[in-house]
Amino acid sequence: MFEVRTRWGKVLLQVLATLFVLPFLFPLIVMVQGSFAGAGWGNYRAVLGVPGFFRFFLNSAIIAAGVIAIVYVVTMLASYGFAKLHIRAREVYFWMLLVCLTLPEVVLLTPLFSTTQQLGLYDTYWSVILPLAALQVPFAVLLTRNFIHGLPDEMFEAARVDGANSMRGFLYLVLPLTRPIAAAVLIFTLIGAWNDYLMPLVFLQSQDMQTITLVPQFFVGEFSNDQTKILASAVLTAIPEVVAYLCLQGLFERGLSAGAIK
Amino acid sequence: MTETTGVRGARMSHSGGTSGRPALRGGQGNASPARRQRLQAPGLPWILPALVLGVGLIYYCIGYTGYMSTLNWDGASPNPESVGLNNYVRIFTSDPVFWKAVWHTVVFFVVTFVAQTALGVIFAVMMHSRIKLGILYKVVVFVPVVLAPAIMAPVFRQMFSINGQFNWLLEHVGLGALVQPWIGQESTALPVIMAITIWQWTGLTFVLYFAAMSQIDQSMLEAARIDGAGNFRTLVSIIWPSLRGTTVALAILGAIGALKTFDVPWLVTIAGPNNATQFLGTYIYQMTIQLAHVGYGAALSIILLLVALAIAIILQVVGRERTREKKGAR
Repeated sequence: MFEVRTRWGKVLLQVLATLFVLPFLFPLIVMVQGSFAGAGWGNYRAVLGVPGFFRFFLNSAIIAAGVIAIVYVVTMLASYGFAKLHIRAREVYFWMLLVCLTLPEVVLLTPLFSTTQQLGLYDTYWSVILPLAALQVPFAVLLTRNFIHGLPDEMFEAARVDGANSMRGFLYLVLPLTRPIAAAVLIFTLIGAWNDYLMPLVFLQSQDMQTITLVPQFFVGEFSNDQTKILASAVLTAIPEVVAYLCLQGLFERGLSAGAIK
Repeated sequence: MTETTGVRGARMSHSGGTSGRPALRGGQGNASPARRQRLQAPGLPWILPALVLGVGLIYYCIGYTGYMSTLNWDGASPNPESVGLNNYVRIFTSDPVFWKAVWHTVVFFVVTFVAQTALGVIFAVMMHSRIKLGILYKVVVFVPVVLAPAIMAPVFRQMFSINGQFNWLLEHVGLGALVQPWIGQESTALPVIMAITIWQWTGLTFVLYFAAMSQIDQSMLEAARIDGAGNFRTLVSIIWPSLRGTTVALAILGAIGALKTFDVPWLVTIAGPNNATQFLGTYIYQMTIQLAHVGYGAALSIILLLVALAIAIILQVVGRERTREKKGAR
């Protein structure tokens, strides 16, 4: 973009860039450095020694997997229907879904609270998986439908002329061709589910059901506010996310930005 | 991308024209609309799961919330008293905290949006200018996007506390006069919340602008340069205008995000001190869960929902205008 030809110009740009980036690094340094304060590695040993620490990761993984599975299946079916099949008053249904796009999750708390208790779903994985999936589906459908719209109609017509019913069209055309957008859906659903705080906070009461986003609070109680160990637990819970991002950089960036590019 | 939108627009108007008519089944299916109709299987069963999950669950909750908003209810008593629209009247006429939360949301949106846009564009331009260690810088700026706010909250509480690292840094760069309890006083708590949000989401803004900038026609930049435009002039007159689509999309995302704000103010400052970081989300949570004013919280929820809906409609209108503009340009 910028043409910097002189040596000084280059140095100046580099210094400026570094100065702009450093504030972003600072909280991460604080986190790591703080986690080693006092007992050093002992903080980590203490955190890892807490019985059931891995349970938090397992719970987050179960919930994320559940949400992803539901969102993927439901989204693919619906996007195909919206994009390529005949539906009366299709736009009305689509708008009804789009309205849900802006819904703040805090609005769902009370109705879900009493309903899950009546249905006996309170304090189960379902009480978190179902609302999270419901909140992710509209956006995923919006993205995927636009993507399938871009696929040529002639292809689906040809398949039909050759005797494929809509199910076969779905299995052999839609599923393989939507892989790029499915990856995006997968990533933002994963981040949405893994990082969610409010739903587990309200709906998962038992200790062995809680997710990693509740870890800091758990350790405030466990270590009577020993900041170093709380920060060590924060580092440990952040590691899987950072590693996942570093391994799948391109996928993460495309997936998360898919929302803003129509 | 433009191509897709154009095709979609054409197709939508096309199918809209045919769906009203009864299908011509069998026989003389030479006419193209009728043929297409016959070739499209019924789709309702396909969208049913999404409707049941999305629309079913969410509309059920909205309906339920709407009903509760007319009650004076603590969430437990078996016979809640119906108060009609009284909750709404109270919110609009005699609830200073509500208006505070609305004001915070507006300030929060404007500040975070402007700062993220500026930083995002600056980073994107810099990374496009062949600097060293570019990939490393990108990772540092983007990593906050994937970290859960709930996990970072204790870090920020520690960092901005009175003897935290932020004050330590100020002292060591000669700004010791600025040392203060950043999250403990009303005047600085909201700016801290906004700074955390900017820290968290600038990576996304940056990546989007970075992608948008790769699509700018290089020959246009060359031409501008030959005409004697400097770096700054190029940025203002060529780069920035061609990012307009991305900026609009980010504004919409930011507005909805501001309305949904909960995790950071709740976990870092507990919406305090003295409601200084109160947002609609945190206020609803306090009312409903902590104070058990379920009816009142439900009325707040409905208001929040209506505002979000208004923004969604604006989103659609703006989106459509953009599509039309693009079509007109071609």
